[in-house]
Amino acid sequence: MSLNRPTLLLADDDPTIADSLAPFLERAGFHVLVVSDGMSAFEKAQAHHPELIILDVLMPRMDGRETLRRLRKANIWTPTILLTQVGEASERALALEEGADDYLNKPFDPHELLARIRAVLRRVRPGQRSLSAAWLLTAGSLSLDRRARRATLAGATVELTPKALSVLEYLMTHPDEAVTRERLLEAVWGWEYPAGTRTVDTRMAELRRALDDDPAEPRFIETIPGEGYRFIAPVHGEG
Amino acid sequence: MFKKGWVSLLLIFLPFVAGIVAFIFIIIYSGSISPFLLTADFGFFAFVFGLTIRNLGVIVLALGLFTTLLLGVLYYRSLRRQEQTQMLLSEAEREAELGRRRFLRRLDHEIKNPLTGLRAALVNMQEAQAGEDQARAVGNAEHAVERLTRLLTDLRKLSDLGERPIELGPVDVPDLLQDVVEAAHVLPAYGGREVNLLIPKVPSPFPMIIGDRDLLVLAVYNLVENALKFTYPTDSVEIRLGEDGRAILIEVADSGVGIPPDDVSKIFEELYRGSNARSTEGSGLGLALVNRIIALHDGQINVRSSQEEPRGTVFTVRLPVGKKGLTRLTPV
Repeated sequence: MSLNRPTLLLADDDPTIADSLAPFLERAGFHVLVVSDGMSAFEKAQAHHPELIILDVLMPRMDGRETLRRLRKANIWTPTILLTQVGEASERALALEEGADDYLNKPFDPHELLARIRAVLRRVRPGQRSLSAAWLLTAGSLSLDRRARRATLAGATVELTPKALSVLEYLMTHPDEAVTRERLLEAVWGWEYPAGTRTVDTRMAELRRALDDDPAEPRFIETIPGEGYRFIAPVHGEG
Repeated sequence: MFKKGWVSLLLIFLPFVAGIVAFIFIIIYSGSISPFLLTADFGFFAFVFGLTIRNLGVIVLALGLFTTLLLGVLYYRSLRRQEQTQMLLSEAEREAELGRRRFLRRLDHEIKNPLTGLRAALVNMQEAQAGEDQARAVGNAEHAVERLTRLLTDLRKLSDLGERPIELGPVDVPDLLQDVVEAAHVLPAYGGREVNLLIPKVPSPFPMIIGDRDLLVLAVYNLVENALKFTYPTDSVEIRLGEDGRAILIEVADSGVGIPPDDVSKIFEELYRGSNARSTEGSGLGLALVNRIIALHDGQINVRSSQEEPRGTVFTVRLPVGKKGLTRLTPV
Protein backbone atom coordinates (compact mmCIF):
# COMPACT_ATOMS: atom_id res chain seq x y z
CA MET A 1 0.00 0.00 0.00
CA SER A 2 1.37 3.35 -0.87
CA LEU A 3 0.97 6.42 1.25
CA ASN A 4 -1.38 9.22 0.28
CA ARG A 5 -2.77 7.27 -2.64
CA PRO A 6 -6.19 5.81 -1.92
CA THR A 7 -6.29 2.07 -2.53
CA LEU A 8 -8.94 0.64 -4.81
CA LEU A 9 -9.83 -3.02 -5.03
CA LEU A 10 -10.98 -3.90 -8.53
CA ALA A 11 -12.69 -7.27 -9.04
CA ASP A 12 -13.52 -8.27 -12.60
CA ASP A 13 -13.01 -11.66 -14.20
CA ASP A 14 -12.49 -10.23 -17.67
CA PRO A 15 -8.73 -9.64 -18.02
CA THR A 16 -9.11 -7.09 -20.84
CA ILE A 17 -11.31 -4.94 -18.62
CA ALA A 18 -9.19 -5.24 -15.49
CA ASP A 19 -5.98 -4.82 -17.48
CA SER A 20 -7.15 -1.61 -19.10
CA LEU A 21 -8.94 -0.09 -16.13
CA ALA A 22 -6.13 -0.65 -13.61
CA PRO A 23 -3.50 1.50 -15.38
CA PHE A 24 -6.16 4.11 -16.10
CA LEU A 25 -7.06 4.35 -12.42
CA GLU A 26 -3.38 4.29 -11.42
CA ARG A 27 -2.80 7.27 -13.69
CA ALA A 28 -5.73 9.00 -11.99
CA GLY A 29 -3.84 8.77 -8.69
CA PHE A 30 -5.08 5.56 -7.10
CA HIS A 31 -3.30 2.46 -5.95
CA VAL A 32 -5.14 -0.44 -7.58
CA LEU A 33 -5.39 -4.06 -6.43
CA VAL A 34 -6.83 -6.40 -9.04
CA VAL A 35 -8.60 -9.71 -8.39
CA SER A 36 -10.59 -11.88 -10.75
CA ASP A 37 -13.23 -13.50 -8.56
CA GLY A 38 -15.49 -12.74 -5.64
CA MET A 39 -13.78 -15.00 -3.13
CA SER A 40 -10.41 -13.28 -3.64
CA ALA A 41 -12.14 -9.91 -3.47
CA PHE A 42 -13.64 -10.85 -0.11
CA GLU A 43 -10.25 -11.97 1.23
CA LYS A 44 -8.33 -8.99 -0.15
CA ALA A 45 -10.89 -6.57 1.22
CA GLN A 46 -10.35 -7.94 4.71
CA ALA A 47 -6.57 -8.09 4.42
CA HIS A 48 -5.81 -4.77 2.74
CA HIS A 49 -8.61 -2.44 3.86
CA PRO A 50 -8.99 -0.61 0.55
CA GLU A 51 -10.70 2.77 0.50
CA LEU A 52 -13.15 1.59 -2.15
CA ILE A 53 -14.18 -1.64 -3.86
CA ILE A 54 -15.30 -1.99 -7.47
CA LEU A 55 -17.17 -5.25 -7.98
CA ASP A 56 -18.31 -6.84 -11.19
CA VAL A 57 -21.60 -8.70 -10.74
CA LEU A 58 -21.02 -11.82 -12.83
CA MET A 59 -17.86 -13.48 -11.53
CA PRO A 60 -16.72 -17.05 -10.91
CA ARG A 61 -16.57 -18.66 -7.45
CA MET A 62 -18.62 -15.93 -5.81
CA ASP A 63 -20.57 -13.30 -7.69
CA GLY A 64 -20.30 -9.62 -6.90
CA ARG A 65 -23.61 -9.46 -5.14
CA GLU A 66 -22.83 -12.35 -2.82
CA THR A 67 -19.40 -10.85 -2.12
CA LEU A 68 -20.99 -7.56 -1.13
CA ARG A 69 -23.54 -9.31 1.07
CA ARG A 70 -20.79 -11.17 2.90
CA LEU A 71 -18.71 -8.05 3.34
CA ARG A 72 -21.63 -6.19 4.87
CA LYS A 73 -22.44 -9.18 7.05
CA ALA A 74 -18.86 -9.13 8.29
CA ASN A 75 -19.49 -5.49 9.18
CA ILE A 76 -17.15 -4.19 6.52
CA TRP A 77 -18.62 -0.95 5.23
CA THR A 78 -16.00 -0.13 2.62
CA PRO A 79 -17.77 1.90 -0.06
CA THR A 80 -18.54 -0.25 -3.06
CA ILE A 81 -19.44 0.36 -6.67
CA LEU A 82 -21.19 -2.49 -8.46
CA LEU A 83 -20.62 -2.98 -12.17
CA THR A 84 -23.89 -4.45 -13.37
CA GLN A 85 -24.11 -6.19 -16.68
CA VAL A 86 -27.82 -6.06 -17.09
CA GLY A 87 -29.63 -2.76 -17.16
CA GLU A 88 -32.75 -4.06 -15.56
CA ALA A 89 -34.46 -2.03 -12.92
CA SER A 90 -34.68 -5.03 -10.60
CA GLU A 91 -30.93 -5.42 -10.66
CA ARG A 92 -30.37 -1.79 -9.75
CA ALA A 93 -32.82 -1.97 -6.88
CA LEU A 94 -30.99 -5.06 -5.65
CA ALA A 95 -27.69 -3.25 -5.83
CA LEU A 96 -29.05 -0.73 -3.35
CA GLU A 97 -30.62 -3.39 -1.21
CA GLU A 98 -27.26 -5.01 -0.65
CA GLY A 99 -25.62 -1.78 0.33
CA ALA A 100 -23.74 -0.82 -2.81
CA ASP A 101 -22.86 2.85 -2.79
CA ASP A 102 -23.25 3.24 -6.49
CA TYR A 103 -23.56 1.22 -9.65
CA LEU A 104 -22.58 1.57 -13.24
CA ASN A 105 -23.92 -0.19 -16.30
CA LYS A 106 -21.54 -1.91 -18.66
CA PRO A 107 -20.38 -0.73 -21.11
CA PHE A 108 -19.31 2.49 -19.41
CA ASP A 109 -16.88 5.27 -20.13
CA PRO A 110 -13.84 4.91 -17.81
CA HIS A 111 -14.12 8.62 -17.04
CA GLU A 112 -17.62 7.99 -15.72
CA LEU A 113 -16.25 5.31 -13.39
CA LEU A 114 -13.62 7.76 -12.18
CA ALA A 115 -16.28 10.38 -11.51
CA ARG A 116 -18.32 7.82 -9.54
CA ILE A 117 -15.27 6.76 -7.51
CA ARG A 118 -14.44 10.35 -6.62
CA ALA A 119 -18.05 11.15 -5.75
CA VAL A 120 -18.37 8.10 -3.50
CA LEU A 121 -15.05 8.81 -1.76
CA ARG A 122 -16.09 12.40 -1.18
CA ARG A 123 -19.40 11.32 0.28
CA VAL A 124 -18.15 8.59 2.54
CA ARG A 125 -17.69 9.17 6.27
CA PRO A 126 -15.04 6.82 7.62
CA GLY A 127 -16.29 4.11 9.94
CA GLN A 128 -19.92 4.99 9.26
CA ARG A 129 -22.31 2.90 7.28
CA SER A 130 -23.10 4.73 4.07
CA LEU A 131 -26.46 6.25 3.22
CA SER A 132 -26.84 3.70 0.41
CA ALA A 133 -27.10 0.97 3.01
CA ALA A 134 -29.60 2.83 5.19
CA TRP A 135 -33.26 1.90 5.11
CA LEU A 136 -34.59 5.10 6.49
CA LEU A 137 -33.33 8.43 5.18
CA THR A 138 -34.26 11.70 6.81
CA ALA A 139 -33.60 15.28 5.81
CA GLY A 140 -35.32 17.73 8.11
CA SER A 141 -39.06 17.10 7.99
CA LEU A 142 -38.70 14.78 5.00
CA SER A 143 -38.17 11.09 5.48
CA LEU A 144 -37.96 8.23 3.04
CA ASP A 145 -38.63 4.64 4.01
CA ARG A 146 -36.88 2.74 1.27
CA ARG A 147 -38.25 -0.65 2.21
CA ALA A 148 -41.87 0.49 2.29
CA ARG A 149 -41.28 2.77 -0.72
CA ARG A 150 -42.94 5.64 1.09
CA ALA A 151 -41.96 9.25 1.65
CA THR A 152 -43.39 11.43 4.39
CA LEU A 153 -43.21 15.18 4.85
CA ALA A 154 -43.84 16.37 8.41
CA GLY A 155 -45.52 13.05 9.12
CA ALA A 156 -47.89 13.11 6.14
CA THR A 157 -47.45 10.68 3.26
CA VAL A 158 -46.21 12.29 0.04
CA GLU A 159 -48.04 11.00 -3.04
CA LEU A 160 -45.40 10.09 -5.62
CA THR A 161 -45.21 7.93 -8.72
CA PRO A 162 -42.67 5.07 -8.50
CA LYS A 163 -40.25 6.94 -10.80
CA ALA A 164 -40.41 10.17 -8.80
CA LEU A 165 -39.81 8.16 -5.63
CA SER A 166 -36.75 6.53 -7.19
CA VAL A 167 -35.46 9.95 -8.23
CA LEU A 168 -35.86 11.17 -4.65
CA GLU A 169 -34.13 8.04 -3.38
CA TYR A 170 -31.17 8.56 -5.70
CA LEU A 171 -30.82 12.22 -4.75
CA MET A 172 -31.09 11.51 -1.02
CA THR A 173 -28.46 8.79 -1.17
CA HIS A 174 -26.18 11.21 -3.05
CA PRO A 175 -26.60 14.40 -1.05
CA ASP A 176 -24.61 17.49 -1.86
CA GLU A 177 -23.58 15.98 -5.17
CA ALA A 178 -24.23 17.48 -8.58
CA VAL A 179 -26.32 14.79 -10.28
CA THR A 180 -26.67 15.21 -14.03
CA ARG A 181 -29.85 14.38 -15.93
CA GLU A 182 -27.94 11.67 -17.79
CA ARG A 183 -26.88 10.09 -14.51
CA LEU A 184 -30.46 10.12 -13.22
CA LEU A 185 -31.72 8.62 -16.46
CA GLU A 186 -29.19 5.83 -16.27
CA ALA A 187 -29.72 5.17 -12.58
CA VAL A 188 -33.51 5.45 -12.38
CA TRP A 189 -34.76 4.79 -15.89
CA GLY A 190 -31.95 2.41 -16.76
CA TRP A 191 -31.92 3.63 -20.31
CA GLU A 192 -30.30 6.24 -22.35
CA TYR A 193 -32.94 8.69 -23.34
CA PRO A 194 -32.88 11.18 -26.14
CA ALA A 195 -30.87 14.06 -24.72
CA GLY A 196 -32.90 17.21 -24.44
CA THR A 197 -36.26 15.65 -23.58
CA ARG A 198 -37.98 16.86 -20.45
CA THR A 199 -38.25 13.30 -19.11
CA VAL A 200 -36.25 14.07 -15.96
CA ASP A 201 -37.55 17.61 -15.57
CA THR A 202 -41.15 16.40 -15.63
CA ARG A 203 -40.48 14.05 -12.71
CA MET A 204 -38.52 16.71 -10.91
CA ALA A 205 -41.45 19.11 -11.22
CA GLU A 206 -43.75 16.41 -9.82
CA LEU A 207 -41.33 15.78 -6.96
CA ARG A 208 -41.00 19.46 -6.12
CA ARG A 209 -44.74 19.95 -6.23
CA ALA A 210 -45.23 17.02 -3.87
CA LEU A 211 -42.48 18.21 -1.51
CA ASP A 212 -43.71 21.79 -1.72
CA ASP A 213 -40.19 22.81 -2.67
CA ASP A 214 -39.81 26.15 -4.42
CA PRO A 215 -37.14 25.93 -7.16
CA ALA A 216 -36.30 29.59 -6.58
CA GLU A 217 -35.70 29.01 -2.88
CA PRO A 218 -35.18 25.29 -2.51
CA ARG A 219 -35.17 23.49 0.81
CA PHE A 220 -34.34 20.11 -0.71
CA ILE A 221 -33.57 20.06 -4.43
CA GLU A 222 -31.49 22.71 -6.10
CA THR A 223 -31.23 23.13 -9.87
CA ILE A 224 -27.72 23.56 -11.20
CA PRO A 225 -28.24 25.35 -14.49
CA GLY A 226 -26.87 23.42 -17.45
CA GLU A 227 -25.77 20.56 -15.22
CA GLY A 228 -28.49 18.89 -13.22
CA TYR A 229 -29.69 18.75 -9.66
CA ARG A 230 -28.34 18.66 -6.16
CA PHE A 231 -29.96 17.54 -2.90
CA ILE A 232 -28.91 20.31 -0.53
CA ALA A 233 -30.45 19.32 2.82
CA PRO A 234 -28.25 17.24 5.12
CA VAL A 235 -29.32 13.59 5.07
CA HIS A 236 -29.19 11.11 7.94
CA GLY A 237 -29.46 7.38 7.51
CA GLU A 238 -30.81 4.80 9.92
CA GLY A 239 -31.09 1.02 9.94
CA MET B 1 -60.76 -34.11 -25.79
CA PHE B 2 -59.34 -37.58 -26.46
CA LYS B 3 -55.75 -38.52 -26.06
CA LYS B 4 -54.29 -40.83 -28.64
CA GLY B 5 -53.67 -44.31 -27.19
CA TRP B 6 -55.14 -47.62 -26.11
CA VAL B 7 -56.94 -46.14 -23.07
CA SER B 8 -59.09 -44.01 -25.37
CA LEU B 9 -59.77 -47.00 -27.65
CA LEU B 10 -60.80 -49.09 -24.63
CA LEU B 11 -63.17 -46.31 -23.50
CA ILE B 12 -64.69 -46.11 -26.96
CA PHE B 13 -65.42 -49.83 -27.12
CA LEU B 14 -66.65 -49.97 -23.53
CA PRO B 15 -70.34 -49.08 -24.33
CA PHE B 16 -70.45 -51.71 -27.09
CA VAL B 17 -68.98 -54.37 -24.82
CA ALA B 18 -71.32 -53.26 -22.05
CA GLY B 19 -74.21 -53.57 -24.51
CA ILE B 20 -73.20 -57.15 -25.38
CA VAL B 21 -72.81 -58.07 -21.72
CA ALA B 22 -76.19 -56.53 -20.86
CA PHE B 23 -77.77 -58.33 -23.81
CA ILE B 24 -76.37 -61.70 -22.69
CA PHE B 25 -77.40 -60.98 -19.12
CA ILE B 26 -80.96 -60.19 -20.15
CA ILE B 27 -81.13 -63.35 -22.18
CA ILE B 28 -79.83 -65.48 -19.32
CA TYR B 29 -82.13 -63.70 -16.86
CA SER B 30 -85.15 -64.36 -19.01
CA GLY B 31 -84.19 -68.05 -19.13
CA SER B 32 -83.86 -68.47 -22.86
CA ILE B 33 -80.72 -69.38 -24.75
CA SER B 34 -81.93 -68.23 -28.12
CA PRO B 35 -82.76 -64.52 -27.79
CA PHE B 36 -84.12 -63.90 -31.27
CA LEU B 37 -86.68 -66.64 -30.98
CA LEU B 38 -87.89 -65.41 -27.64
CA THR B 39 -91.45 -64.22 -27.47
CA ALA B 40 -92.13 -64.20 -23.74
CA ASP B 41 -93.13 -60.89 -22.20
CA PHE B 42 -90.71 -59.18 -19.89
CA GLY B 43 -92.83 -58.38 -16.88
CA PHE B 44 -92.86 -54.75 -15.87
CA PHE B 45 -91.23 -53.30 -19.03
CA ALA B 46 -93.69 -55.12 -21.20
CA PHE B 47 -96.49 -53.73 -19.15
CA VAL B 48 -95.28 -50.16 -19.40
CA PHE B 49 -93.66 -49.95 -22.82
CA GLY B 50 -95.02 -52.95 -24.53
CA LEU B 51 -91.51 -54.21 -24.97
CA THR B 52 -90.56 -57.79 -25.32
CA ILE B 53 -87.39 -58.94 -23.70
CA ARG B 54 -85.98 -59.60 -27.16
CA ASN B 55 -86.64 -55.98 -28.14
CA LEU B 56 -85.03 -54.70 -24.95
CA GLY B 57 -81.91 -56.80 -25.50
CA VAL B 58 -81.57 -55.60 -29.05
CA ILE B 59 -82.15 -51.97 -28.01
CA VAL B 60 -79.41 -52.17 -25.33
CA LEU B 61 -77.10 -53.74 -27.86
CA ALA B 62 -77.88 -51.05 -30.45
CA LEU B 63 -77.43 -48.27 -27.90
CA GLY B 64 -74.00 -49.65 -27.01
CA LEU B 65 -73.04 -49.90 -30.64
CA PHE B 66 -74.34 -46.36 -31.38
CA THR B 67 -72.43 -44.87 -28.43
CA THR B 68 -69.26 -46.63 -29.52
CA LEU B 69 -69.68 -45.35 -33.08
CA LEU B 70 -70.34 -41.82 -31.82
CA LEU B 71 -67.29 -41.91 -29.56
CA GLY B 72 -65.28 -43.31 -32.45
CA VAL B 73 -66.23 -40.39 -34.68
CA LEU B 74 -65.43 -37.90 -31.90
CA TYR B 75 -62.11 -39.65 -31.30
CA TYR B 76 -61.20 -39.44 -34.96
CA ARG B 77 -62.12 -35.75 -35.19
CA SER B 78 -60.27 -34.93 -32.02
CA LEU B 79 -57.17 -36.67 -33.37
CA ARG B 80 -57.43 -34.73 -36.60
CA ARG B 81 -57.73 -31.48 -34.72
CA GLN B 82 -54.72 -32.32 -32.58
CA GLU B 83 -52.74 -33.11 -35.71
CA GLN B 84 -53.71 -29.78 -37.22
CA THR B 85 -52.75 -27.88 -34.06
CA GLN B 86 -49.49 -29.76 -34.00
CA MET B 87 -48.86 -28.79 -37.60
CA LEU B 88 -49.65 -25.13 -36.90
CA LEU B 89 -47.42 -25.23 -33.85
CA SER B 90 -44.47 -26.69 -35.68
CA GLU B 91 -45.11 -24.17 -38.44
CA ALA B 92 -44.93 -21.37 -35.84
CA GLU B 93 -41.83 -22.93 -34.35
CA ARG B 94 -40.22 -23.11 -37.77
CA GLU B 95 -41.17 -19.50 -38.35
CA ALA B 96 -39.71 -18.47 -34.98
CA GLU B 97 -36.56 -20.41 -35.74
CA LEU B 98 -36.27 -18.69 -39.11
CA GLY B 99 -36.83 -15.33 -37.44
CA ARG B 100 -34.15 -16.12 -34.87
CA ARG B 101 -31.66 -17.08 -37.55
CA ARG B 102 -32.49 -13.97 -39.55
CA PHE B 103 -31.99 -11.89 -36.42
CA LEU B 104 -28.61 -13.50 -35.68
CA ARG B 105 -27.49 -13.01 -39.27
CA ARG B 106 -28.40 -9.34 -39.10
CA LEU B 107 -26.80 -8.99 -35.67
CA ASP B 108 -23.63 -10.58 -36.97
CA HIS B 109 -23.59 -8.02 -39.75
CA GLU B 110 -24.25 -5.10 -37.42
CA ILE B 111 -21.42 -6.13 -35.10
CA LYS B 112 -18.98 -7.10 -37.83
CA ASN B 113 -18.74 -3.66 -39.38
CA PRO B 114 -17.85 -1.57 -36.34
CA LEU B 115 -15.50 -4.31 -35.12
CA THR B 116 -13.64 -4.33 -38.42
CA GLY B 117 -13.39 -0.56 -38.20
CA LEU B 118 -12.12 -0.84 -34.65
CA ARG B 119 -9.42 -3.36 -35.57
CA ALA B 120 -8.24 -1.24 -38.47
CA ALA B 121 -8.16 1.82 -36.24
CA LEU B 122 -6.08 -0.04 -33.65
CA VAL B 123 -3.56 -1.09 -36.30
CA ASN B 124 -3.37 2.51 -37.46
CA MET B 125 -2.84 3.67 -33.91
CA GLN B 126 0.11 1.33 -33.54
CA GLU B 127 1.68 2.13 -36.86
CA ALA B 128 0.87 5.78 -37.43
CA GLN B 129 3.14 8.50 -36.18
CA ALA B 130 1.72 10.70 -33.47
CA GLY B 131 -0.17 13.50 -35.10
CA GLU B 132 -2.98 13.77 -37.56
CA ASP B 133 -3.04 10.09 -38.61
CA GLN B 134 -3.14 8.86 -35.06
CA ALA B 135 -5.80 11.33 -34.08
CA ARG B 136 -7.93 10.10 -36.98
CA ALA B 137 -7.42 6.48 -35.92
CA VAL B 138 -8.51 7.32 -32.38
CA GLY B 139 -11.53 9.14 -33.78
CA ASN B 140 -12.47 6.12 -35.89
CA ALA B 141 -12.07 3.76 -32.96
CA GLU B 142 -14.32 5.93 -30.83
CA HIS B 143 -16.89 6.05 -33.60
CA ALA B 144 -16.92 2.25 -33.89
CA VAL B 145 -17.31 1.91 -30.13
CA GLU B 146 -20.19 4.36 -30.18
CA ARG B 147 -21.95 2.29 -32.83
CA LEU B 148 -21.55 -0.91 -30.85
CA THR B 149 -22.71 0.79 -27.67
CA ARG B 150 -25.80 2.14 -29.39
CA LEU B 151 -26.61 -1.29 -30.77
CA LEU B 152 -26.28 -2.86 -27.35
CA THR B 153 -28.31 -0.13 -25.68
CA ASP B 154 -31.16 -0.55 -28.14
CA LEU B 155 -31.07 -4.33 -27.82
CA ARG B 156 -31.35 -3.92 -24.07
CA LYS B 157 -34.26 -1.53 -24.42
CA LEU B 158 -36.06 -4.06 -26.62
CA SER B 159 -35.57 -6.91 -24.19
CA ASP B 160 -36.40 -4.67 -21.21
CA LEU B 161 -39.69 -3.68 -22.81
CA GLY B 162 -40.84 -7.27 -22.72
CA GLU B 163 -40.03 -7.65 -19.06
CA ARG B 164 -40.47 -4.54 -17.03
CA PRO B 165 -43.94 -3.31 -16.12
CA ILE B 166 -44.91 -0.06 -17.80
CA GLU B 167 -45.77 2.87 -15.57
CA LEU B 168 -49.23 3.99 -16.59
CA GLY B 169 -50.63 7.44 -16.02
CA PRO B 170 -52.61 10.11 -17.83
CA VAL B 171 -50.56 11.57 -20.66
CA ASP B 172 -51.01 15.03 -22.16
CA VAL B 173 -50.20 14.30 -25.79
CA PRO B 174 -49.86 17.89 -27.13
CA ASP B 175 -47.34 18.56 -24.34
CA LEU B 176 -45.52 15.32 -25.15
CA LEU B 177 -45.23 16.26 -28.84
CA GLN B 178 -43.95 19.70 -27.92
CA ASP B 179 -41.31 18.02 -25.78
CA VAL B 180 -40.25 15.75 -28.64
CA VAL B 181 -39.94 18.62 -31.12
CA GLU B 182 -37.83 20.63 -28.69
CA ALA B 183 -35.59 17.64 -28.02
CA ALA B 184 -35.18 16.96 -31.74
CA HIS B 185 -33.54 20.38 -32.17
CA VAL B 186 -30.23 19.03 -30.92
CA LEU B 187 -30.10 16.27 -33.55
CA PRO B 188 -27.42 16.83 -36.19
CA ALA B 189 -29.97 15.81 -38.83
CA TYR B 190 -32.21 18.65 -37.70
CA GLY B 191 -29.92 21.15 -39.40
CA GLY B 192 -31.86 24.26 -38.48
CA ARG B 193 -35.00 23.29 -40.32
CA GLU B 194 -38.56 23.66 -39.19
CA VAL B 195 -40.51 20.68 -37.87
CA ASN B 196 -44.18 21.56 -38.25
CA LEU B 197 -46.25 20.64 -35.24
CA LEU B 198 -49.99 20.71 -35.89
CA ILE B 199 -52.13 20.45 -32.79
CA PRO B 200 -55.89 20.95 -33.17
CA LYS B 201 -57.52 23.71 -31.13
CA VAL B 202 -60.73 21.68 -30.82
CA PRO B 203 -61.54 19.65 -28.75
CA SER B 204 -60.06 21.56 -25.87
CA PRO B 205 -58.49 20.28 -23.76
CA PHE B 206 -57.28 17.53 -26.04
CA PRO B 207 -58.29 14.08 -24.75
CA MET B 208 -55.75 12.49 -22.46
CA ILE B 209 -54.60 8.96 -22.97
CA ILE B 210 -53.44 6.43 -20.43
CA GLY B 211 -49.88 5.42 -21.03
CA ASP B 212 -46.24 5.50 -20.04
CA ARG B 213 -45.18 9.02 -20.99
CA ASP B 214 -41.47 8.21 -21.04
CA LEU B 215 -41.96 5.30 -23.41
CA LEU B 216 -44.29 7.28 -25.67
CA VAL B 217 -41.77 10.12 -25.86
CA LEU B 218 -39.19 7.57 -26.95
CA ALA B 219 -41.50 6.16 -29.62
CA VAL B 220 -42.48 9.50 -31.16
CA TYR B 221 -38.91 10.76 -30.87
CA ASN B 222 -37.67 7.76 -32.83
CA LEU B 223 -40.21 8.43 -35.58
CA VAL B 224 -39.23 12.10 -35.79
CA GLU B 225 -35.54 11.25 -35.73
CA ASN B 226 -36.10 8.82 -38.61
CA ALA B 227 -38.05 11.41 -40.56
CA LEU B 228 -35.18 13.87 -40.16
CA LYS B 229 -32.46 11.32 -40.89
CA PHE B 230 -33.95 9.98 -44.09
CA THR B 231 -34.76 13.31 -45.69
CA TYR B 232 -32.81 16.20 -47.14
CA PRO B 233 -32.68 19.61 -45.49
CA THR B 234 -35.01 20.88 -48.22
CA ASP B 235 -37.71 18.35 -47.28
CA SER B 236 -40.51 19.03 -44.83
CA VAL B 237 -41.19 17.10 -41.66
CA GLU B 238 -44.55 17.39 -39.99
CA ILE B 239 -46.14 16.04 -36.81
CA ARG B 240 -49.93 16.05 -36.84
CA LEU B 241 -52.27 15.26 -34.02
CA GLY B 242 -55.88 14.21 -34.41
CA GLU B 243 -58.61 12.23 -32.70
CA ASP B 244 -61.79 10.40 -33.60
CA GLY B 245 -63.48 10.05 -30.23
CA ARG B 246 -62.15 6.58 -29.51
CA ALA B 247 -58.49 7.07 -30.23
CA ILE B 248 -55.94 9.76 -30.81
CA LEU B 249 -53.85 9.75 -33.97
CA ILE B 250 -50.28 10.92 -34.18
CA GLU B 251 -48.88 11.25 -37.68
CA VAL B 252 -45.24 11.80 -38.44
CA ALA B 253 -44.93 12.75 -42.07
CA ASP B 254 -42.06 13.72 -44.31
CA SER B 255 -41.63 14.65 -47.95
CA GLY B 256 -38.50 12.52 -48.34
CA VAL B 257 -37.62 9.92 -50.97
CA GLY B 258 -40.01 7.35 -49.54
CA ILE B 259 -39.55 3.69 -48.65
CA PRO B 260 -39.23 1.12 -51.46
CA PRO B 261 -42.45 -0.99 -51.65
CA ASP B 262 -40.51 -4.21 -50.95
CA ASP B 263 -39.21 -2.80 -47.68
CA VAL B 264 -42.46 -1.38 -46.29
CA SER B 265 -43.69 -4.64 -44.76
CA LYS B 266 -40.34 -5.38 -43.13
CA ILE B 267 -39.25 -2.07 -41.61
CA PHE B 268 -40.67 -2.92 -38.18
CA GLU B 269 -38.56 -6.09 -37.98
CA GLU B 270 -35.62 -6.10 -35.63
CA LEU B 271 -32.35 -5.07 -37.30
CA TYR B 272 -33.93 -4.86 -40.73
CA ARG B 273 -32.41 -2.18 -42.87
CA GLY B 274 -34.18 -0.98 -45.97
CA SER B 275 -32.19 -0.79 -49.16
CA ASN B 276 -31.91 3.00 -48.93
CA ALA B 277 -31.23 3.00 -45.19
CA ARG B 278 -27.96 1.10 -45.21
CA SER B 279 -25.77 4.13 -45.49
CA THR B 280 -27.55 5.95 -42.67
CA GLU B 281 -26.36 5.68 -39.08
CA GLY B 282 -28.58 3.79 -36.69
CA SER B 283 -28.95 0.55 -34.78
CA GLY B 284 -31.65 -0.87 -37.04
CA LEU B 285 -33.81 -1.34 -33.97
CA GLY B 286 -35.57 2.02 -33.77
CA LEU B 287 -38.80 1.08 -35.52
CA ALA B 288 -38.94 -2.32 -33.83
CA LEU B 289 -38.77 -0.43 -30.55
CA VAL B 290 -41.51 1.98 -31.62
CA ASN B 291 -43.67 -0.92 -32.72
CA ARG B 292 -43.29 -2.65 -29.38
CA ILE B 293 -44.02 0.46 -27.35
CA ILE B 294 -47.20 1.14 -29.33
CA ALA B 295 -48.29 -2.49 -28.97
CA LEU B 296 -47.77 -2.24 -25.19
CA HIS B 297 -50.27 0.62 -25.25
CA ASP B 298 -52.86 -1.41 -27.20
CA GLY B 299 -52.25 0.91 -30.12
CA GLN B 300 -51.49 0.41 -33.78
CA ILE B 301 -48.85 1.77 -36.07
CA ASN B 302 -49.10 1.93 -39.85
CA VAL B 303 -46.97 3.35 -42.56
CA ARG B 304 -47.77 4.55 -46.06
CA SER B 305 -45.06 5.67 -48.36
CA SER B 306 -44.66 6.72 -51.94
CA GLN B 307 -41.54 7.12 -54.01
CA GLU B 308 -43.40 8.84 -56.82
CA GLU B 309 -44.98 12.29 -56.80
CA PRO B 310 -46.42 13.23 -54.38
CA ARG B 311 -43.48 11.68 -52.56
CA GLY B 312 -43.22 11.05 -48.88
CA THR B 313 -43.76 8.79 -45.91
CA VAL B 314 -46.41 8.96 -43.21
CA PHE B 315 -46.29 6.94 -40.01
CA THR B 316 -49.64 6.83 -38.23
CA VAL B 317 -49.85 5.90 -34.57
CA ARG B 318 -53.26 5.17 -33.12
CA LEU B 319 -53.62 5.13 -29.35
CA PRO B 320 -56.91 4.40 -27.57
CA VAL B 321 -58.28 7.21 -25.41
CA GLY B 322 -58.52 6.37 -21.71
CA LYS B 323 -61.59 6.29 -19.54
CA LYS B 324 -63.93 9.24 -19.37
CA GLY B 325 -63.10 12.03 -17.00
CA LEU B 326 -59.39 11.49 -17.14
CA THR B 327 -58.89 14.93 -18.64
CA ARG B 328 -59.40 16.29 -15.16
CA LEU B 329 -56.37 14.48 -13.77
CA THR B 330 -52.98 16.11 -13.71
CA PRO B 331 -50.58 14.73 -16.26
CA VAL B 332 -47.67 12.62 -15.07
